[in-house]
Amino acid sequence: MEYIEGYFRKEMSAEEITKFEQLILEDPLFAEEVAFYLSARQAAQDEGVIEKKERFREIYLQHKPAAPVRAMGRWSWYIAAASVIAVVIFSWYLYQRSAGPGQLANRYVEQHWQTLGVSMSSREDSIQTGLRLYNEGKWQDALRQFEEIIQSGVAGSEVKKYAGIVALRLKDYDKALVYFTELSQYKLYANPGLFYQAVTLLERNRSGDPENAKQLLLQVVQNDLEEKETAREWLRKL
Amino acid sequence: MSSVKTFHHTADKLLTAGLLQGGLQKRRSEEQLFTSYAYFIQEGIRKYSLQEEDAFDAYADTVLSAIEKITNGSFESRSSLKTYLYQIFHNKCVDLLRKKTTNKYSVHRTLSIKDSLFNISDAARSVIQRLADKSDWAALRQKLGELGENCRKALLLWADGHSDQEIAATIEYKTAAVAKTSRIRCLEKLRQLYKAR
Repeated sequence: MEYIEGYFRKEMSAEEITKFEQLILEDPLFAEEVAFYLSARQAAQDEGVIEKKERFREIYLQHKPAAPVRAMGRWSWYIAAASVIAVVIFSWYLYQRSAGPGQLANRYVEQHWQTLGVSMSSREDSIQTGLRLYNEGKWQDALRQFEEIIQSGVAGSEVKKYAGIVALRLKDYDKALVYFTELSQYKLYANPGLFYQAVTLLERNRSGDPENAKQLLLQVVQNDLEEKETAREWLRKL
Repeated sequence: MSSVKTFHHTADKLLTAGLLQGGLQKRRSEEQLFTSYAYFIQEGIRKYSLQEEDAFDAYADTVLSAIEKITNGSFESRSSLKTYLYQIFHNKCVDLLRKKTTNKYSVHRTLSIKDSLFNISDAARSVIQRLADKSDWAALRQKLGELGENCRKALLLWADGHSDQEIAATIEYKTAAVAKTSRIRCLEKLRQLYKAR
């Protein structure tokens, strides 16, 4: 494989290139290996594109603008505007009264984990089943599904993340912490494990939990990890 | 007006520079690029009467195509990123309306393999092309999923054009040489899994 790679990385002399191309014509097994090298790279590229698209979908769903409203008459606009102002003032009043640790975590959970994105990828159908169960509100079944995958020994970071989220929604905080701690140990591009542990501790809100959550949030900010901006904002509020 | 232009020019430069870097910085720049013009999706719904899902697909494909052009050096910054993206997006929306985009992945795949074979001699190229056409893409992608987390990630990063040094930094291999050896080992493992299917 290293030899084949040398060719495609243009690391060969003119003489070596001729020899390489001759070998393709003369040795069917070698030609097959070259074709595999290119096909594998393309398959990995396709898979990467699907992953990126799924990431984009998650971002879009999080920031999606609200659906457009129907056209209204002038008075309806005045009434709507007055109602909005009243709601904003009332919400602000409530917000000021209730920006405690639990509320911060609750709001995050409601905003981000109402539903979980079902992927378009062809792999790991059992994960998709778990996600669909979650989105249908069957949290116990979803957790059972994710835990079965974990017990089968083939689970990656994604399944640990989902198992943690479902456990948190079921208020099984100890279990959620176990899964999020395991998630944070994966060497990932972007690992939200520490931040999710902080969310769990803030929602559980037992004695000592907010302090431990703050330490985790600090680590998220200092190490430039996933959800750094939210962590920074929460540290200001806590 | 000119200060607005300067601002956009600087923002474009920062974004393209970020995309040309590897690892986490590239990932962030990709997400930033996606978010910056995500309002195109609403435009696709309003102006081209597309379903939201189709408008999202057109926009996501637009961003992915722009990222590819920027990273392989074929975006020449003659227009602003916004204009460039909008042009691609417009074409994709029109294509969608004409329903020309069925099976877009296979089109993309054939082109990419052809790109790799660009400099190879005619005789050798036709041998490889014929063999590659026989590949079972679904099985290959499924087997990729069966590799360990690090292996799969290393191969995805490699296919996305990351250097071994960047792969080492992302997956925490000690050196670029270790990343290369591990990556090639992963490729061999994938081959064994694929052959044994």
